Amino acid sequence: MSLIDLKGIEKHYELGKTTVTALRGVDLTVDKGEFTVVTGPSGSGKTTLLNIIGCLDRASKGTYVLDGTDVSDRDFDDLAEVRNQKIGFIFQSFNLIPVLDVAENIEFPCAVRKNPEDAGKLRARVNQLAKRVGLEPYLHHKPDELSGGQRQRVAIARALITEPRLVLADEPTANLDSTTSESIIDLMLELNKEQGVTFLFSTHDPRVVKHAKRALHIQDGRIADGAGH
Amino acid sequence: MALFKLAVRNLRRNQRRTAITLVAMVVGVTGMVGLRGFINGQQDVLLENIIKGRLGAVQVHRTGYVKNVLTSPLQLDMADTPELRGRLSAAPHVIGVSPRIEFGAMVSTPDKRPQPEDGSDLPEADQGKTSFFLATAIEPESESKVTPRRHGLINKGGRMLPSADAPELVLNDEFARGLEAPVHPAGAPMPPIEQQLALLAGDRDGALNGENMVLGGTLPSFSAGDKRIGVVPLAVAQRVLRMEGHVTEYALALDDYTQADAVRDGLKAKLGPDYEVHTWAELFPFIKSLTGTQDFIFSIITGVFFTVVLLGIVNAMLMTVLERTREIGTMLAVGMRRRQIIRLFLFEGVVIGTVGALLGLSVGLLLIAFTHSRGIPLPAPGANVESIVRPWVSGRFVVGVLLGTPLGAALATLWPAWRASRLRPVEALASA
Ligand SMILES: Nc1ncnc2c1ncn2[C@@H]1O[C@H](COP(=O)(O)OP(=O)(O)OP(=O)(O)O)[C@@H](O)[C@H]1O
Ligand SMILES: [Mg+2]
Repeated sequence: MSLIDLKGIEKHYELGKTTVTALRGVDLTVDKGEFTVVTGPSGSGKTTLLNIIGCLDRASKGTYVLDGTDVSDRDFDDLAEVRNQKIGFIFQSFNLIPVLDVAENIEFPCAVRKNPEDAGKLRARVNQLAKRVGLEPYLHHKPDELSGGQRQRVAIARALITEPRLVLADEPTANLDSTTSESIIDLMLELNKEQGVTFLFSTHDPRVVKHAKRALHIQDGRIADGAGH
Repeated sequence: MALFKLAVRNLRRNQRRTAITLVAMVVGVTGMVGLRGFINGQQDVLLENIIKGRLGAVQVHRTGYVKNVLTSPLQLDMADTPELRGRLSAAPHVIGVSPRIEFGAMVSTPDKRPQPEDGSDLPEADQGKTSFFLATAIEPESESKVTPRRHGLINKGGRMLPSADAPELVLNDEFARGLEAPVHPAGAPMPPIEQQLALLAGDRDGALNGENMVLGGTLPSFSAGDKRIGVVPLAVAQRVLRMEGHVTEYALALDDYTQADAVRDGLKAKLGPDYEVHTWAELFPFIKSLTGTQDFIFSIITGVFFTVVLLGIVNAMLMTVLERTREIGTMLAVGMRRRQIIRLFLFEGVVIGTVGALLGLSVGLLLIAFTHSRGIPLPAPGANVESIVRPWVSGRFVVGVLLGTPLGAALATLWPAWRASRLRPVEALASA
């Protein structure tokens, strides 16, 4: 069974009297453990697609089955639960919470759960993950004391702390220099291999694309290339 | 992780904004506490002046007297017996009983020169004057327990009545100046008859009687409406009024004037239907309405103050939400629930409200402690005498501020918090 199953996904934005169509019928399946990159020109609909897959936004039309459950028309707080349990997010501009230190940022998604796990156990997992992404010496630093690459490692650890089925990353390397980008992509690849986490990310960067196991190309709101297997 | 901790850190993040909000709250709370304390102190002075300067805390009359008080009805009198005095002073809280007669009197001043030999009239300016005043006849000994404030206020150079049968009276100082009556020095021999004052009054049968007196002392005004008044010895008044052994009023001093209602009820039951008992508040309703008005104005001022401060919090919180839009989007994205977002901002409001209340209260209470121990010299409304205002606030008021301010701050945060919680994650994440 596939992890992501999109059928006939459309997304329209109402802008006053005109309607902007960002996605015009996307069919896509992604299996567990895949490492997929989405490319396409600016404005082609990459972010829109990732937002829908990430349950941050709803499609105007079509069905979306995530990990066996239809989430096409679930309400918002319901989706908060789904996001928290099943999806990790990595953002282009890191989006760490500035008043929290590295460890607190990493544990945040678990700490805000209705029934948070034991704080000691959580901290132990945070330490392990921080070690894995190379942040062990920085656990008690605030985000503004870190470099861009380090911040994105924090974000990766935060995305993984919930042991999600899926990690989504919208242009995770766009704010990083090329060496750092490579190391971030390498880290994501390793985590994909080690832990079997499914990665789906968008990028403009051709050097990043070459690492991907599967590449989708979006053009004008449609998947032009790589939708099947 | 505790949302509370996050809230505290967020407040420390924009220190300038937090500081400005706090300063506004501290100024507001301090102002409120200071104003309340001052009003309390001033109301005390007002009450003390009335109760300990004039009325006593409770008064006993023959039934029907107070209804006709403006005519000072001498017919409604009581036999002043040791037995009656004893019953009054035996009542709980009563620490002084002062028999009195209130009556309309006249005082005549002597001519300034003798009549001319040739039988012509003295010029107007040199003739003696006769003026009405409201006389209170007292026994100075008993009265000093009931109205110590009045006893203590006699102007320099004069004295309170030396006894209940002395040929002396005490008048309001402005009134005495108008009469051009000088104070007779203590211990000096009485002036010749033609230079003495005369106290005149009509008795119950309408006959005018009088006795010669000197001015023993003068009193400043210390509460509104007390200019044409005087104090005369009880025995003298009883002779002039032909009511030996009788009085029209007993003024009672209590150890705690707030017990006046209870004392009144107890005495009413004890004395029966021939007597009526009234508290200071019933005898002088003006005070209640004055303090009531002050309290009302205070609540309006506080309301306005509070609203302004709370609007400041609303504004600061809205700015915070605006600034942190993307962060809120991130929190929503990683699965924080809307209710938790509301709680986070409410905590921020409550924390700043609590800190503001504590700081403001501290400053306000220090201010009150300082002014209380030093005392603020101020005349009571309508008086010429400086009274020492000692501000204070009740424990209930302090608790009210301590709970009300954070509650208000939380209410002020409700709307910004709600707005933050309604943000759509996609749009919030896309914001700068
Ligand atoms: N909130 C919105 N309101 C209106 N139109 C939108 C909105 N979000 C996206 N669009 C439109 O939808 C289309 C797809 O946008 P999207 O952000 O998905 O593109 P993208 O592939 O991520 O572009 P980029 O590479 O620049 O990030 C664009 O034409 C964009 O203008
Ligand atoms: Mg995009």
